[in-house]
Amino acid sequence: MASLLQPDRVLYLVHGEKKIRSPLSTLYFCRYCSELRSLECVSHEVDSHYCPSCLENMPSAEAKLKKNRKRICNQLNENFRCANCFDCPCCMHTLSTRATNIPAPLPDDPSKTTMKKAYYLACGFCRWTSRDVGMADKSVASGGWQEPDNPHTQRINKLIEYYQQLAQREKLERDRKKLARRRPYMPLAFSQHTIHVVEKYGLGTRLQRQRPGAPITSLAGLSLKEGEDQKEINIEPAQALDEVEPLPEDCYTRPINLPEVTSLRQRLLQPDFQPAGASQLHPKHKHLLIKRSLRCRKCEHNLSKPEFNPTSIKFKIQLVAVSYIPEVRIMSIPNLRFQKECQVLLTLTNPVENITHVTLVGCEEGDPEDINSTAKVMVPTKELVLAGKDAAADYDELAEPQDFQDDPDVVAFRKSNKIGFFIKVVPQREEDGDVTVSFKIRHDFRNLAAPIRPSEEGDAPTEAIWLTHHVELSLGPIIA
Amino acid sequence: MADPNTKQMSQKSANIAAGAVVCVESEIRGDVTIGPRTVVHPKARIIAEAGPIIIGEGNLIEEQALIINSYPENIMPDTEGVEPKTMTIGINNVFEVGCVSQALKIGDNNVIESKADLGKNVILTSGCIVGACCQVNTCEVIPENTVIYGSNCMRRVQTERPQPQTLQLDFLMKILPNYHHMKKTVKGTSTPVRN
Repeated sequence: MASLLQPDRVLYLVHGEKKIRSPLSTLYFCRYCSELRSLECVSHEVDSHYCPSCLENMPSAEAKLKKNRKRICNQLNENFRCANCFDCPCCMHTLSTRATNIPAPLPDDPSKTTMKKAYYLACGFCRWTSRDVGMADKSVASGGWQEPDNPHTQRINKLIEYYQQLAQREKLERDRKKLARRRPYMPLAFSQHTIHVVEKYGLGTRLQRQRPGAPITSLAGLSLKEGEDQKEINIEPAQALDEVEPLPEDCYTRPINLPEVTSLRQRLLQPDFQPAGASQLHPKHKHLLIKRSLRCRKCEHNLSKPEFNPTSIKFKIQLVAVSYIPEVRIMSIPNLRFQKECQVLLTLTNPVENITHVTLVGCEEGDPEDINSTAKVMVPTKELVLAGKDAAADYDELAEPQDFQDDPDVVAFRKSNKIGFFIKVVPQREEDGDVTVSFKIRHDFRNLAAPIRPSEEGDAPTEAIWLTHHVELSLGPIIA
Repeated sequence: MADPNTKQMSQKSANIAAGAVVCVESEIRGDVTIGPRTVVHPKARIIAEAGPIIIGEGNLIEEQALIINSYPENIMPDTEGVEPKTMTIGINNVFEVGCVSQALKIGDNNVIESKADLGKNVILTSGCIVGACCQVNTCEVIPENTVIYGSNCMRRVQTERPQPQTLQLDFLMKILPNYHHMKKTVKGTSTPVRN
């Protein structure tokens, strides 16, 4: 459907740290700041982890708990990976468990055999099975499969502990200095923004997120931690060897068995082993995916918060732009000719339930936002009125159509909350690229989120504010 | 060269061995021999244009599968001097829904998955699996136990052949006659008698 609607031909401009132009369907609208927000001007937070194949939830708290109970290297392996599901090492599809019946001798009477079930892992896509790498069939359906151990586990463990301690100490010193110097400006150092500053070795996020914006308590947390790990961890530096294992003698003459050679992608998905041969490719536990929530950076309100349950696709909070801002879509484009006036039919859809008044304004000469347009555009000067979105309109045939008295030169048609209108385009450049036009759209917005004061006036609970957006349309190439 | 009379006679009807289950809705044209225990689903098409087709036993040919022995592209159908080539299909093969096979020689225990496309010059040995939507039209012999999968037709070798679908075949041979009419089988040997 996205390719049919071609949403990327109509771009809305977002005023953030960077000026971003993107289709309305990818934008969010902060109704507290009354501004459009794109994915780059919001902060992303991880809500929970879940496995995409067994849909088992693992909230971040439980994942952290697992960390504290086991050793660190195992944490990095088992954390953020599902315990039940495996990935095919050959094609990265999810592995399924299959059962076969094998005759096995009864424990009491070795001469008789009964059928026992044996389980193996198989990939439905590339037909890889666990028997291909020599893994024996297991007698239990799940939980019997182990990943091979990395011989360097211990060394890596120690190194990680040492560096985490080092990072802690550095952070402590940095924070003490900041606190000492910047007493009156304390909030700056500990605002939510510092959470997103690159943390060394991934330690800080866990501690700081629990106490946002509270400087003294976070320091207390750090010192407590250090109080526990009083012992110093010393590591031996790595030793350089003079002699390297020589290459095998038939390295250059041995013919390559192509099916046995692993591809780069297969190799790098297992960074601790990186097997060169396909017979050493063991399955790995499946990586967890995250559910994320978005937060406006200026007012710290949530823009998007999904439901906790991995099987649910709904949102608790969903402030997407298409449900607040009228959307412009291109309906039909005639043949565009250089320096000739053409009429383009656009549609405007009203997403809210009240009547919306929209005014279109062309861009002035030298408008700093207008950098891409290659044609002159004449937009209708009159105000366009859009009816509210009525959910029951399809079913209610007796409703009288509202009389809006449209100018037939401007408004082509009107259908519930949508109108079609004409703009005149004169392409100014005879070049190979697309003809691009831009204009500003000004509409009224009723903010339902604002706190309702105990009304002194009787009616009019909310006042309308006028919002202006800069819209760019890509109309396609010039046809001579 | 076979004279026109024998040519016409050999194109008359299919030679279906006893024990094979061939639905009436399937289209079988030309000189086709079908072995016992083979199941041909309705809407399957087996077309022997440029030569006879010999299908072994225990094969499973699903709906909308097309097995065609066609003329090479640059040769007109009526040219003299064209030898009819026989297409041979072994035992225990599975032709899944919607696949197209023009390969002249297919061995045993192969699986051709849905919407796969085999060209005229490919020769499948045994135990091969051609994945869904994979087009194989190279001029080569596919080694045993090869799996072709993915949108780029990646290949790998598996250690064991795909199992013959005996359970499925038994089930179909019981259930299909309940819902479809079957084509008549011919008593006798499965190989065609030729002068």
